[in-house]
Amino acid sequence: MSIWFALSPILVLAVGALGLMMADAFSKSRSDLALGSFITFLSAGLFAVALWIMGGVPAETAKLVAPWIILDKFTLFFEATLCLGGAISSLLAGGYLPEHDLDRGEFYALMLLSAIGALLLAAAGEILALFIGLETMSLGVYAMTAFRRTNPRSAEGALKYFLLGSFAAALLLYGGALLYGATGTTSLTGIRDALTSGQFGSLRDPSRLPMVVLSMVFILVGLAFKVSAVPFHMWTPDAYQGAPTPATAFMSVVVKGAALATMMRVMLVAFGDKGSASWASGWPPVVAGLAIATMVVANLIAIRQENVKRMLAYSSIAHAGYLLVGLVASWGSGNPQVAAEGRAALLFYILQYTVTQAGAFGALILCGSRGREAVSYEDLAGLGRRHPAAALPFAVFCVSLAGIPPTAGFFGKLYIFRAAIEGGFTGLAVIGLLNSALSVYYYLRVLVYLYMREPAPGAPQAIPMRSGYVTAALVLAGVLLLYFGLLPGRSLEMALSAAKSLI
Amino acid sequence: MQPAVAQAQQSMPVIGPFLAKMWPVLAAGAAGALVPRRDSRSERFWFAVAAALAVLFLTLLWPDAKVAAEEATATGEYPHLLSWLIAIPVFGALAVLFVPRQATRAVQVITMLVMAAEIVATCLLFKVTPKEGFWLEETVEWIPAWGIKYHVALDGISYWLIVLTSILTPVAVFVSFGSIKTRLKDFCFAFLLLQGAMVGSLVALDLFLFYVMWEAMLIPMYVLIGVWGGVDRIKASIKFFIYTMAGSMLMLAAILWIVFKYRALSGTMSFDLVDLQRLGLPLVTQKWLFAGFAIAFLIKVPMFPVHTWLPDAHTQAPTGGSIILAAVMLKLGCYGYIRFGMGLFPHAAHEAGATLAGVAVVGGIIYGALCALKQNDIKRLVAYSSVSHLGYVMLGIFAGNPASMEGAILQMVNHGISTGALFLLVGVIYDRRHTRDVAEYGGIAKAMPWFAAVWVIVTFSSIGLPGTNGFIGEWLVISGAFMSKGTLGQWGRSQAIGAAIGVILGAAYMLTVTQKVFFGPLDNPKNKRLPDLTRREAIALAPLIVLVFAIGLFPRVFTERMHGSVAAFLQDHTMRYSATPPEKPVLAPPPAPAAPAAKAGE
Repeated sequence: MSIWFALSPILVLAVGALGLMMADAFSKSRSDLALGSFITFLSAGLFAVALWIMGGVPAETAKLVAPWIILDKFTLFFEATLCLGGAISSLLAGGYLPEHDLDRGEFYALMLLSAIGALLLAAAGEILALFIGLETMSLGVYAMTAFRRTNPRSAEGALKYFLLGSFAAALLLYGGALLYGATGTTSLTGIRDALTSGQFGSLRDPSRLPMVVLSMVFILVGLAFKVSAVPFHMWTPDAYQGAPTPATAFMSVVVKGAALATMMRVMLVAFGDKGSASWASGWPPVVAGLAIATMVVANLIAIRQENVKRMLAYSSIAHAGYLLVGLVASWGSGNPQVAAEGRAALLFYILQYTVTQAGAFGALILCGSRGREAVSYEDLAGLGRRHPAAALPFAVFCVSLAGIPPTAGFFGKLYIFRAAIEGGFTGLAVIGLLNSALSVYYYLRVLVYLYMREPAPGAPQAIPMRSGYVTAALVLAGVLLLYFGLLPGRSLEMALSAAKSLI
Repeated sequence: MQPAVAQAQQSMPVIGPFLAKMWPVLAAGAAGALVPRRDSRSERFWFAVAAALAVLFLTLLWPDAKVAAEEATATGEYPHLLSWLIAIPVFGALAVLFVPRQATRAVQVITMLVMAAEIVATCLLFKVTPKEGFWLEETVEWIPAWGIKYHVALDGISYWLIVLTSILTPVAVFVSFGSIKTRLKDFCFAFLLLQGAMVGSLVALDLFLFYVMWEAMLIPMYVLIGVWGGVDRIKASIKFFIYTMAGSMLMLAAILWIVFKYRALSGTMSFDLVDLQRLGLPLVTQKWLFAGFAIAFLIKVPMFPVHTWLPDAHTQAPTGGSIILAAVMLKLGCYGYIRFGMGLFPHAAHEAGATLAGVAVVGGIIYGALCALKQNDIKRLVAYSSVSHLGYVMLGIFAGNPASMEGAILQMVNHGISTGALFLLVGVIYDRRHTRDVAEYGGIAKAMPWFAAVWVIVTFSSIGLPGTNGFIGEWLVISGAFMSKGTLGQWGRSQAIGAAIGVILGAAYMLTVTQKVFFGPLDNPKNKRLPDLTRREAIALAPLIVLVFAIGLFPRVFTERMHGSVAAFLQDHTMRYSATPPEKPVLAPPPAPAAPAAKAGE
């Protein structure tokens, strides 16, 4: 197999991004840029799927770009998932930007370029490649956050995101440098080999042990920032609220997914060995602590929100907590069978979360039009009666986010918590389950306002927008949501096979 | 790839499998046609074609393309009755969605026809001959990788509850048509879905299926309270939802744990109750898992001290919602406790039974009755009487001998009938006066003689006057509890006495409210010209009154059906809890292949 074909998902995105930039510069009409970027995402995703169907990238091809870019089924799974998230976000942008008079072509190019970074991040098997992917992804997202130039919230969110993000990236880089100093390599598998052979690994000098631990902490913090785990979540609500909603969807789905992919690679490959997980770092308990803090804090704050978009931002943080539960579970206490299933559960969760969360933001977009945005719960009052077609998708996605059967969200949670119980983290699973009972409150509030409250006389009301793009995105997300919810068997098998390729 | 193409070609002539196979293609085509801002039809058309072809390409590329739905729709011969019982209301609900909102008459007629079809299907149940083990068992693989099956079956324990569901839901809907004027279509949709989910959780033997059905009941009920309820409806509906959800999350954790343990020992995954019952667990483990299940079920029952959602939910719910909540949904807590709580954790259930029985008597029967005595709101009074009556049911279950268990199951049905009727009657006067305050009424028997007569009959049934259904149930429970030294221990007799005191208190609060509302001087001028029962209300009440006397006079007809199952269940349960619990988890060998369906070997 040609290496060009093996790298095709990333290359297609790159070509598409450059092409769209040219199209934007030389064409007068902008209305089809969204379609173009949707098609780019779709074809990149299809290339990933095609590679998967052909049985993955053969070893001799993958070796050409090995340790920098790893081309295993795990990467392909993430490439397809991230492209799906990107496709939904670009469809949303196609409806949202013209409606809110933000229709500038750079947005799509930024989104595609940022997605290249995300794909690279998911594929990176080496710390420098990882860093390049992370920065490529982040720079695009910073600009997208600041896209509403005249809006102070947008500027505030972007600045916060940029400053804290740079800080986190610096921490990550510093951790990488320390790790290189301790082990003499930047490749993740090389680091694992250095850490696992012998009692203290093959570190020539046991006094370098603290360096390894410190670098692990730095890397963990840098990545926890990207997945917005508590206490590194402070930027999230502001950035999510300030950004144009399609960019928010992109951030909460693609950026988080890619960050989680690399977190899995770093934690499970480089530090995943039973020995090193216990002495070099002891990261599973730390991540479990992060997960608990993330779930509890995010859910409690989300309950108090009056702004729907901010509520969804906190809900996205809470979901990061569930994802971290999955990460702990996929360590599997060193048992390969349990670990593989935990990883599969985590991959499936990301897949369904991509569809559900992007769909929820899409539903929020659909509920408001220019000057009549759906901002607070009050704006949504009585929408189910006035515009049932706009309210229904929001209700469905909220039910899935809450994890109520038979939606995809339920299966995602089920698999994650089952994996946690099998991995011996029963307490963590019980806390997670109780948290998801807690989260039901604020998801149901959306339903309450949509269907059970009438707007106060004279109060502003949201008026749904009309856009074929947004409708198409919601139909796509809704169909996938039901598919993952009712017949999860096949996607779960794929997740399992992707999980097993992570070594 | 090749076989997939061949397979696709073979099934071309048949529309059903063709659609099942090709639905992604069609969906993509539809999505393509919806893509944006294309004014001309031909452009939309080509988009649709392109999208459909892309997906078709992908489907054919897909390795061993096989649609799981094909397995699920495997047609067999007649005994798919239980699936029909679930499917009729669910598909009816979907059918209602396609009726225009304005055509209220059509919505009503379709809903009633669907429910009539459900009753007809239930009548076919009467033809089933009781046998050992489960009846009408049906198993279809659902998610094979996880050992999740669609496994439904029936036995004497769930039999009458299903009958009760399919009789009471139409009653509740029919009487609601008189008072529900807004968003009728949504109302019918929610009710039909609720009925499907309730029947589904009564017949599910796969824990996963049960959990899905159990949760699926929540949303329609939440919507029923939240949309058509009283002034505080939103608070009440959220309280109801969070309480139940918190309980079911603990149950889910316990389910996952037990499934994990099963796999660790047997090597395969299964959520099937029959499989999981083979698992022997140490006492401490059993206690934790039992706690997870029991909390979920006892919240639903509800038992003191987690009963506080009930008065709010009942008071705020619309009449139809209250009827179905009291008559069927609460029973699912009791049923789940028997089937899953006792079925899976015999030792823990046996050990906790005596203590919980004490809670049921003091916190349920007596405390509920005392609360009911102090209520001014008639509906709240009936709600607290539910807490008290379900105390009997739970006492009967905890006592765990054939008489008390049969009494408990019968009492579930009785409570469904009498409390359902009481809520219906409260709804009748509420519709006329828009108040439920006892002080507002007095002497209305003069204005509404028929209404008063029906109320008195239902009151008698509720307090357990001989000749009515309530008497049989309470008698069986109390006498069963009195004889249950083996399960309730030394306090069994005093608990029976406590329950008997509850009967007296029950008579006290029901007769007090009857006296205050119906008799005495008719001095409130607003009550002078109240219209009596309408034809709609009379028709809705008639089957309930018939059932009150049918069960009261011929209880044998009803207990006969449950006799075999209850005896077998209790024998099995006793046998299992009498054995010493193992030190560490063990797996019993599977039952003999001759009787794969039999739960307990004779």
